[in-house]
Amino acid sequence: MEIVFAGFGGQGVLTAGLITAEMALENGKNVTWMPAYGPTMRGGKAYSVVKYADGIIGGPDMEEIDILVAMNEPSLEYAAYLKEGGLIIANTNNVSEDAPIDSKFRVIRIPCLTLAQKAQNPKAANIVAIGAMIKACGLFPEEQAKAVLRQIFVDKGKEKYTAMNEAAFMEGYQAV
Amino acid sequence: MRKMWKGNHAIAEAAMRAGCQFYAGYPITPQTEVSEYLSYRMPELGRRFLQAENEMAAVYMIFGAYACGMRSMTSSSGPGFSLKQEGIAYLCANNYPAVLVNVQRWGPGLGTLDSSQTDYLRDTRGGGNGDYRVIVYAPNSIQETVDLMYNAFDVAEKYRNPVEILSEAALGQMMEPVEFPPFKERTEDLGWTFDGTDRPHGRIDNPQKPDALRAKVAAITANEQRWENYRVEDADYVFVAFGLPSRTCRNAVDQLREQGVKVGLIRPITVWPFPYKAFEEIPDTVKGVISVESTDAGQLIEDVALAVKKMCPGNVPVYGLFSGQKIPKTKEIVAFFGGVRSGETKEVF
Repeated sequence: MEIVFAGFGGQGVLTAGLITAEMALENGKNVTWMPAYGPTMRGGKAYSVVKYADGIIGGPDMEEIDILVAMNEPSLEYAAYLKEGGLIIANTNNVSEDAPIDSKFRVIRIPCLTLAQKAQNPKAANIVAIGAMIKACGLFPEEQAKAVLRQIFVDKGKEKYTAMNEAAFMEGYQAV
Repeated sequence: MRKMWKGNHAIAEAAMRAGCQFYAGYPITPQTEVSEYLSYRMPELGRRFLQAENEMAAVYMIFGAYACGMRSMTSSSGPGFSLKQEGIAYLCANNYPAVLVNVQRWGPGLGTLDSSQTDYLRDTRGGGNGDYRVIVYAPNSIQETVDLMYNAFDVAEKYRNPVEILSEAALGQMMEPVEFPPFKERTEDLGWTFDGTDRPHGRIDNPQKPDALRAKVAAITANEQRWENYRVEDADYVFVAFGLPSRTCRNAVDQLREQGVKVGLIRPITVWPFPYKAFEEIPDTVKGVISVESTDAGQLIEDVALAVKKMCPGNVPVYGLFSGQKIPKTKEIVAFFGGVRSGETKEVF
């Protein structure tokens, strides 16, 4: 499985990849996570690649993507590496409705930021996207995914955000 | 329990497990997390961390620490490593061990932050003035980075020669699940360090030096070659790749084998000493050997060509896929191989 989270710096695409990587590890898989970003902290192009498999994983960078989570419109350029029949999750808060997407791909359009705001957690648009992705593809059981999400923030000493993050996750999960 | 670790943090923690007592370094992307991690981890363990005023100062600080027998290391990326070369030459001239980490970025000059292997020739040939070699490990996963670092001090002290871990930007930045070995400590005296007595301190001067270096190189070459061969035994074509390109190469081998094409992969784990012994397994019927590397115009290929000359009968052609500042993709390797097989792509050697 090869998943790319792409957007601009500050949208949480590196963290989204990390959370997904931890979920895959919990699921007993071999995992790689690779970040890519420019020298700027905010606003520049950024993406992370998560790969997981039962066997050995090849190169960590994008090769043949199964799922592309496009948090903004320029990220759609990575569709060039998407497998035929691959899935694009497009954040409609930053990807316009008429953005050209090849019909050989499946597309789910959801307003990640709007849903995160609805969950009183405007920084968690990335977690909304994860919820939608897991539901759409059945990657991990819902309870297991939520438990990993909780643990990651507890380990970071950010326990107080647990409920807010879970709410954001569920907004995405139920939107699909 | 296996946990997700960033390559740069994992190599730093592995150095702690291996008994490193002193670190000096200077920040440079994509290596800075090594220093950052050690800046809080070392005081926590009661060890010494120092951010030096520059790279050259850092390497001379570990020179001094090792003169007194402390397990010591420094780390940098390509440009900073160039600055350290004077000190590395001095370490070698004095027969001192040391552990060096180079998280490569694409050069020359200041280069970029992109992942590459463009320091290959400098680091496998000594890199500074004078005649010396550094033992160079080139891991291709974070677990292997940890395992090699864990033994690096032992090997450096055994031969009284610096050992380098040659990492790559992506390998330093990425995360994989890792399991760490337990903490270890060397307690015995190295026998040559400055301990307040007037015992000999190990520097070998003329006229004995050339013989001593030849003997050291011969011993390291005989004992320390490390590699991993994959499906080489019946291969018509053999890829050679180290570090991250070896991983996409392995995928390419599997894909081509599925199509019924007999290909294999030699993965050097030590790039100096170069694993000539790995080439013994190549069948005499081999049609070509292909170097796959993240360089612009080919560096590893020179060692591959020498190994093929020594180990394969006849004049086996050696090809090169040079992917520049990125890891070659599996697809690109398979496509390149198509050109080799059809005769469209010409050999380099």
